[in-house]
Amino acid sequence: MIQFDKVTKRYPGSDEILKNISFNIDAGEFVFLTGHSGAGKSTLLKLIAATERPTSGTVLIANQNVSQLKPSAIPFLRRRFGLIFQDHKLLYDRNCFENVILPLHINGVTGQEAAKRVRAALDKVGLLNKEKAMPITLSGGEQQRLAIARAVVSRPSILLADEPTGNLDASYAADIMAIFYAFNQVGVTVIMSTHDALGMSARQNRVMHINQGSLTEHLLKEPHLDQAPSSVERFTS
Amino acid sequence: MNNWLNQHIQTLKLVLSRMHNNMLSTFMICLVIGVAMCLPSLFYLAVDNLSKLTDHMQKDTEISLFLKVDANTDEIKEVERQLAKNQGIANFHLVTKEEAWQQLQTKSRSNQEISDAVSQLGKNPLPDAFFIQAKSSDPDSLIRLKDTLQNLPSVELALLNTEWVKRLSSLLSLGKKLISMIAGLLAIVLLVIIGNTVRMQILTQKDEIEVSNLIGATRSFIRMPFLYAGALYGLFGGLMAVLMLIGIIQAFNLSISQIAHLYSNDFSVTLFDTQLFLAVIISAISIGWIGSYIAVSRAIASYKIN
Repeated sequence: MIQFDKVTKRYPGSDEILKNISFNIDAGEFVFLTGHSGAGKSTLLKLIAATERPTSGTVLIANQNVSQLKPSAIPFLRRRFGLIFQDHKLLYDRNCFENVILPLHINGVTGQEAAKRVRAALDKVGLLNKEKAMPITLSGGEQQRLAIARAVVSRPSILLADEPTGNLDASYAADIMAIFYAFNQVGVTVIMSTHDALGMSARQNRVMHINQGSLTEHLLKEPHLDQAPSSVERFTS
Repeated sequence: MNNWLNQHIQTLKLVLSRMHNNMLSTFMICLVIGVAMCLPSLFYLAVDNLSKLTDHMQKDTEISLFLKVDANTDEIKEVERQLAKNQGIANFHLVTKEEAWQQLQTKSRSNQEISDAVSQLGKNPLPDAFFIQAKSSDPDSLIRLKDTLQNLPSVELALLNTEWVKRLSSLLSLGKKLISMIAGLLAIVLLVIIGNTVRMQILTQKDEIEVSNLIGATRSFIRMPFLYAGALYGLFGGLMAVLMLIGIIQAFNLSISQIAHLYSNDFSVTLFDTQLFLAVIISAISIGWIGSYIAVSRAIASYKIN
């Protein structure tokens, strides 16, 4: 589904953020992307979502080479993704319903069909009763759930979440994680960056850790979780 | 097809509701467009109506053909035959020296000094004269006709009073050139104004463009609401210009009717110049569209991936 082959990313005037990274994510996987802030988690997600291009190496999304895509084809590639940002990126001049319907309008879905799907998405994240509310009146957790509703409304096959729980307290974060797991269960590939992959998972999960531009991988294992550890690194040593 | 239509309706609704929420600024923008469209249209109306008026006057122009004072009846008959033969002449009439003399005496009776002067003349100094209406009102052909008539035997003087009409019409063609230049300049001003307005709107809707871009909107989708906004500004501005024009013409007609009455002329400016109004509205819409296209394309280009 997502294949990185010797990908290097350097921004003008900076060091290499990602060095020679290769990995492969299959459909239906749930992957955590960890690393301290500034390690390149967001950059990696941007490379997947084709908002950035690799400096060298190839990024294949569903067997399409992102670097070779025509600019006019990029929007159609992006529609395969549901993007969730740490800062939500909601539109504050429209209400919840209108925020969630935007991807459907972009996809050319309008009218009753669109309204039905928007309500289904809002229902999934528990915001059905807030469809007329303006995003600014929602709590941080609700805003993030609204952002998730917007990301999933067009039924993408891949969810990319950039620190979706970063600004939330533990109980909200658990809510959000439960939602992601629910989507993963029905076959959606989830790639989620976080600086703390713990307390989130009760299952086996793949963890990709970025440190100084290099990638190390490990599995988050259930037995260790029972011991309530406080950082990923403990599992890997 | 249905979806496509739906999308446009949705966009239009969105744009209209935004304009409704920002009534005052929308009104200001439309007012600027309206005034800017109004100015060249007024110039156009002025020149157009003046040239209609001069056409009208040129039709009335006649050539006066004064014969030699000593021309006898046969010679007069000869000139009359020549005139009847000439293809360029619509009609003509003869005023004999006796008729002219009588007219002069009658007319001068009201003025003491002139009638004194006339009576001191003693004998009739006036020549026989033909007054000729040409078929064409074109200044050049009138002059050619005048020259031909001048060369007829026993003609003392052929007089054509079109010199000032000619000057006026050349002034008018200069005026027309001036209008197109002013209209061109104002079109640039409008492009900048509308482009700038849309750019400001893009700043307030930067998030929308960014988010739409991130979740896979095509450029044309992102552009659409801004293009609609530009075209609508143009439409409303154009309509405003038309309203202003109607108001100005109405006020102008009221005062011109008094003057025209003095000259026993029923001249007035047509209130509904449909062609002009359509041209104003259509050009305002296209300028609005182009202005926002330029602005939004520049904004989208800044989101290109690197």
